Amino acid sequence: MFDVAGLWLGFQIAFSPVNLLWGLIGCVLGTAVGVLPGLGPAATIALLLPISMKMGSPVTAIILMSGIFYGAMYGGSTTSILLKIPGEAASVVTCIDGYEMAKQGRAGPALGIAAIGSFIAGTIGLIGLTAMAPPLAEAALKFGPAEYFSLTVLGLLLATYLTGDSPLKGLTMAILGLMLGCIGLDPLSGAVRFDFGVADLQSNIDFVTLAMGLFGVGEILFSLEKSETASILTTKIKNVFPTLADLARSGWAMVRGSVIGFLVGILPGGGAVLSSLISYAVEKKVSKHPEEFGHGAIEGVAGPESANNAAASSSFIPLLTLGIPGNASTAMIFAALLIHGITPGPFLLKEHADVFWGVVASMYIGNVMLLVLNLPLVGIWVQLLRVPYAFMAPLIMVLTLVGVYSVNNSVFDIWVMLVMGIFGYLARKLKFDLGPLLLAFVLGPIMERSLRQALLISNGDFAIFFVRPISGALMAIAILFVTYNLWAARKEKRKAQAKAA
Amino acid sequence: MHKRIWTALVAVFAVVAAATNAAAAYPEKPIQLIVPYGAGGSTDVLARAIAQVAPKYFSQPLVVVNKPGGGAIPGRVDVARSKADGYTLLFGWGSGEDLVVPHQRPLPYDLFKDFETVCRMSVHSIVLAVPAASPHKTLADLVKAGKSKEYTTASVSTKGASVDITFLLFGKAAGIKVTTIPGAGGADAITKLVGGHVDFGGGHPSEVLPHIKAVRLRALAVALDKRDTSIPDVPTFREAGYDVVTAGSVKGVAVPKGTPKEVISYLEKKFKEIADDAEFQKIMNDIGQPVMYQGAEEYKVWFKQAYDQFGSLYKSLGIETK
Repeated sequence: MFDVAGLWLGFQIAFSPVNLLWGLIGCVLGTAVGVLPGLGPAATIALLLPISMKMGSPVTAIILMSGIFYGAMYGGSTTSILLKIPGEAASVVTCIDGYEMAKQGRAGPALGIAAIGSFIAGTIGLIGLTAMAPPLAEAALKFGPAEYFSLTVLGLLLATYLTGDSPLKGLTMAILGLMLGCIGLDPLSGAVRFDFGVADLQSNIDFVTLAMGLFGVGEILFSLEKSETASILTTKIKNVFPTLADLARSGWAMVRGSVIGFLVGILPGGGAVLSSLISYAVEKKVSKHPEEFGHGAIEGVAGPESANNAAASSSFIPLLTLGIPGNASTAMIFAALLIHGITPGPFLLKEHADVFWGVVASMYIGNVMLLVLNLPLVGIWVQLLRVPYAFMAPLIMVLTLVGVYSVNNSVFDIWVMLVMGIFGYLARKLKFDLGPLLLAFVLGPIMERSLRQALLISNGDFAIFFVRPISGALMAIAILFVTYNLWAARKEKRKAQAKAA
Repeated sequence: MHKRIWTALVAVFAVVAAATNAAAAYPEKPIQLIVPYGAGGSTDVLARAIAQVAPKYFSQPLVVVNKPGGGAIPGRVDVARSKADGYTLLFGWGSGEDLVVPHQRPLPYDLFKDFETVCRMSVHSIVLAVPAASPHKTLADLVKAGKSKEYTTASVSTKGASVDITFLLFGKAAGIKVTTIPGAGGADAITKLVGGHVDFGGGHPSEVLPHIKAVRLRALAVALDKRDTSIPDVPTFREAGYDVVTAGSVKGVAVPKGTPKEVISYLEKKFKEIADDAEFQKIMNDIGQPVMYQGAEEYKVWFKQAYDQFGSLYKSLGIETK
């Protein structure tokens, strides 16, 4: 099962000075694009593709690119925790408790635990990748449209119950997110819908635009209400690194997050997003103090951040063993391999063992580099919070404006972001949670596509979602989840009534 | 009178001279290859393969720019509206968006008035395949099974695109009801096929070849008028007895209308040299995209024919058009 000779070969390749250097450059670049809003890992890899063609060996090129990809996963949590701006969909969940922790002066432990969790999860994911890539890839193929639909239904339900204060409010936001996700092109026929005659709405709203508006701009508007001294960003910083108690509380969260992330990440599509959601829900369920979730529970950062990093590792499984890229970044790596004359797929391991093992080994090394790189950075990031908010707010505003514009070079996107910012502000005032909206926006198109595909296959028969074993099991979990929560809510209500009486 | 003619002639001469002059200097800055699809797709890989060998033939670098999304239409709009100076090239000219989609819905540009053809680089045929676990060994098996059930499912990349049309056409020719399941692009469609969630499916050789080699898929037919050189042992639909021939995915190059003639013929000549380049041909062969170069004039005629063919296919299949 564990190919020691292969891994040995891989480490020999990965430890060559050239590959170490490019691996480091990839990790540094990845962290940078993960932290900066706008330019994501896929766009960065695209920019570097021409340079990578000049590199002598394809292994070096792929080591650089994969470094950018998983490096960005490390960096992505930084803005979520410090500024409540999720750099990518997989970091939306991190905003909830991460930002709360920052508000309480615990940004340091949040960032630290995110880095440590990412390291542990990345490594666990890699061990899984090394040991059992081929059989897992086969299992991922069992996921057809019906299974994807059931999984996204479960994901959406989890999203509406994220903060749990009011499931009805969560549901409202999730439905709004689904509606926003419908704007633009129909995911099946490609026909334009809900564009209201506006040409710019014909291509779908970009996630970055929506996230920065709702969270980033909305948060700035909200904080304008408070006076300078009461502002969150001047809160006393308690400690920079996680305490032993923090680590003890997060330990199992990291392990559970890693396993969830690894398994869900194998699925091409929304693997990383779904895994962070599931991990958060699981942590809340198993926690001894679920009431802390949404108010700065460290497990709420440790679990999801571990999950999305493990998912980044395992998303290499379908790419390397089946030749199926599951997200935009692995699609770029796929293209790079093709141009180097290497077809990713079942024969990669046989025909290009050096590429397979070289890249896998470089990821083990890269994860160590990223931990060493990111832990000292925590201190620097936390210092940022000492900058008075009167200076920070305009700076964040400029950064988000530039970031949004840089995605599509479109002024229209800036307007969308500003409108969403106002909406985000109003939602916060009315105590509506924005997480469900954003997650529904990401999952909606996947859900709609798989629903319609499954119904086409079954000729309109809804039984397809229940009779297929994996799909049926997921649906059963979803139904149990809803019934349990309804029951619990009712019990709570009775208790409250009894107390009142 | 004479004076006017002279003035006009001088003016014309001046313009031509200026144009020639500009062309002589072309290219003096990097040339952008706009790929209206995402990275990693077949058009993107072709553009990047060209960009890789380009330094041998171009004095300036060719830069691949992905403008995906919006059904590959916004990327085309960008090129149509960009400056006609030969520094913005459209890659994928002749894809489904150009040959098929215009028959479905109005587009924000005029296909024949806003673009100028440069050349064709490759034709990607359409292969019909079944999962390896499927009992069907030939097209006849598949048709026989299809006749005994209500409908046969087929996974395709996009609704109304060339793969979709080809399979619907096959259903019609064979007398079976084919329900096509559109996906989120080629990779998604192939994943569903490999996972055995549909009866058959398919795509281009570069997409199905690795899975055929791994015995996850079995190719039954190819929709060209002769066999595809990248999968020579797969029969054509015609050989199997069904009259299905479609253009597949055609990948050419276009520039905005009004680009100087000299620039176009310069590009045409350079792309011809690249098409003949041994290194380029090897890359193309490895990725299962046969090089099938055509110059501007020849390709224009071919393009119009393929466009008209899809138009009449649409009518004969009775697919709703807007």
